[in-house]
Amino acid sequence: MTKSTPPKGLVLYADDDPDDLQLIRDAFASYSETVRLLTFEDGASILNYIKKLSSFEPLPCLIILDINMPGMNGKEVLRKIRQIQEYEEVPIVMFSTSTLPSEADFAMSFGAGFVTKPLYTQQIDQLVEYIIQNCSEDTKRRFRGRRGKQ
Amino acid sequence: MTKKIIGATEFEMLSEEKQLDILQKDGVYIGKREVGNEKVILYQLYAFYVEVYFEEYRKKINKMIISDKVDILQPYLDQIKVKDIDQKK
Repeated sequence: MTKSTPPKGLVLYADDDPDDLQLIRDAFASYSETVRLLTFEDGASILNYIKKLSSFEPLPCLIILDINMPGMNGKEVLRKIRQIQEYEEVPIVMFSTSTLPSEADFAMSFGAGFVTKPLYTQQIDQLVEYIIQNCSEDTKRRFRGRRGKQ
Repeated sequence: MTKKIIGATEFEMLSEEKQLDILQKDGVYIGKREVGNEKVILYQLYAFYVEVYFEEYRKKINKMIISDKVDILQPYLDQIKVKDIDQKK
């Protein structure tokens, strides 16, 4: 009997801060059996990757964008991603160093979530929970299933 | 709902957990630097500043320095974005 495994969900994350990239890699390490995390060091790189994804490949289940990136910042990337028809409803979470109401409003206006970078371990748990909450039902099931195995 | 703005002295008297929750919610990121092996982040919180020294980056804190003196900005001057600070006021 052949046992097939479901394909991994693809999570894309762009941040110019190597420490924050590592923080999220660590936070998602527990979910590596169900989710594949790809990281990018700037806004242009993640946008290029998205544009080059074949229409035959599954859409990412989640995109996380740091707001303050040099060159093309997270808000510009968000705006451009939402202009791609297939990405109108892909869950996106904006990741920020400060809780500026104008940035939260901007994210909301493009149907994206907004979360402030954590300061200690418990806030990282809350961050992961918030990110999961912003995903589609299918992705939530992937995360919850993995969490149940821990 | 009106936001409660507290001073540096009142902030210093809070538990570390409460301090960090307020800092994450209301702090405005100014910049980041490295001191020895520690990563350090400076936030502006209301009318004062909080410098957070991480033993483990964004996971475990070694110490916090709370100050209302602008001298604390000195190591971060090249990173300061005036627009961000003004926006929070």
